[in-house]
Amino acid sequence: MRGRAGRFVLGAVVVTVPVVIALLGPVLAAEPPARAASFTEGGDGHRLGTDFVGRDVWYQVLHGGRSVVLTALAATALACLVALPVGLVGALTHRRLVEELLMRPLDVLLAVPSLLMILLVATVFAPGAVGLALLVAVVNVPDAARLVRATATEIAARPAVEALRLQGETWWRIAVGHVGRSMLRTLAADAGTRLTGVLYLVATAAFLGVGAAPDAADWAVMVDRNRTGLFVQPWAVVVPALLIVALTTGTNLLFDAALDKRGRSPKGERVREA
Amino acid sequence: MSGLRSFVARRLLLGVAQVVAVVLLVFALTEALPGDAAVVLAGDQPDPARIEAIRTAMELDRPAWERLVDWAAGLLRGDFGTSLTSGRPVAQYLTGAFGPTLLLAALTVALLVPTGVGLGVLAARYEGRLVDRLTSSVTLAVYAVPEFALGVLLVTVFALRLGWLPPTAVGHGTDLLAHPGVLVLPVLVLLARPVCSLVRLVRAGMIDALASPYVAHALRYGVSGARVRYLHALPHALAPAVQQLARTIDWLLCGVVVVETLFVVPGLGTVLLGAVGERDVPVVQGLAVVFGVVTVVLNLGADVIAHRLAPRAGVAA
Repeated sequence: MRGRAGRFVLGAVVVTVPVVIALLGPVLAAEPPARAASFTEGGDGHRLGTDFVGRDVWYQVLHGGRSVVLTALAATALACLVALPVGLVGALTHRRLVEELLMRPLDVLLAVPSLLMILLVATVFAPGAVGLALLVAVVNVPDAARLVRATATEIAARPAVEALRLQGETWWRIAVGHVGRSMLRTLAADAGTRLTGVLYLVATAAFLGVGAAPDAADWAVMVDRNRTGLFVQPWAVVVPALLIVALTTGTNLLFDAALDKRGRSPKGERVREA
Repeated sequence: MSGLRSFVARRLLLGVAQVVAVVLLVFALTEALPGDAAVVLAGDQPDPARIEAIRTAMELDRPAWERLVDWAAGLLRGDFGTSLTSGRPVAQYLTGAFGPTLLLAALTVALLVPTGVGLGVLAARYEGRLVDRLTSSVTLAVYAVPEFALGVLLVTVFALRLGWLPPTAVGHGTDLLAHPGVLVLPVLVLLARPVCSLVRLVRAGMIDALASPYVAHALRYGVSGARVRYLHALPHALAPAVQQLARTIDWLLCGVVVVETLFVVPGLGTVLLGAVGERDVPVVQGLAVVFGVVTVVLNLGADVIAHRLAPRAGVAA
């Protein structure tokens, strides 16, 4: 009990720093200081020194988190919104053909490594932040839809659903009102773990130059572009890298602790039912 | 036994469908280009000679299905087409960069399985004790960290501050085995995520298995603790882990691209990223097919092994 609460607090603390910087940074940042020589080591108005083209690193850090956080949140939300109806229909349809048509293509898509898919599309389209969010969402849909379907199938086999069906309730009422509602917990849990994976993909794609301009204020882009000056000016790389580590680690710790709490109760209920 | 055979047959069928889908998807890429593909691919310098060269190189004036059939037939013969930027055959790119990537992947997998299983069993055996809590929190924390962030931090500490290891593989060509120091950080970064997920799965499976009636029964019969742990409980604990191992391959492929870029290793990932930057479509397509097919085959193998370890589990096929 104490361990879980401890992890929850730890995760919350770790994730707060990057999230606050990401969301409030652009508001807090003052006017950008004048450009200086590239890769200077702090002093004369540049708290963390300058980057590869002589911009202030602290100013870039304050602006660089928003794109990662917002793109990841949008992609996760989108993936869940698409996966929910697909998985639900796949589980509750009584026509085998519909189920096969919906689910089989997803099985096949699961085979393509996610980063490969993103790089493939990036070869021909050069997507921006919106494009990257769409792409990451698409990559996540097959897995999410399979989870929705598996959960919904399990719930649809319960006596309560059979009773509803015998009562002559409509398909919509059963699907949305009962099965959909019973799934919310599992789905929330899945969205949490999915967010960690999405954060990873968004940051890695930006590092590889997909979805962000080469001179963008973005933590992952900063790590990539300032790597050449690592020996002269490590802050321009270390600070954004640490923020990304804090963001991903914190999110994971937070959701793991939260899921642990939820994971227990349904099991307990089922034991009591039996 | 017939159950296993029919499972393998069904799983093979899915594998074939997946390979076909990968090939179609990769081919569809050029078809998805809006407008004239040659003009789009020429990019910033739409010089008529270059556009014409791209058009002839990719045979864009022939119907799409003819090109698809030709390309797919070429793939079967190991002919992946020619690069748009250098005019060299794509197969040459593949063979040239294959070595370093295979070395990185093989080293990672060779270290991954013993480390992951060993730590997982250790944590399960001392469940709730210090060792377990330590491994559990560290694996949970490192699990989600992107390779590039972990990589630059490790380089900063071990190459810059301490000077123990070289920061990149620059200057060693493709012969990395002769300079083992170069490989330490890349393999460490590649290992980080998969090890964490494997440890967690083995630990969870092992705890379940050790609490099961059959383990209690075997112990009551006087079978030794080690024998019960490794011959009775471990195979059951491994089944879900083997399947996760297949998913780890997806991560490894992502990881290889990042790690090769980060440490300047001249492998397939570097070639792929270079080709993406230059919009060299035939090279990207060739690499994508290779990566995709490798993933499909390894997934297939993992599913079959998982099925063999725990036939009741009913692996989706």
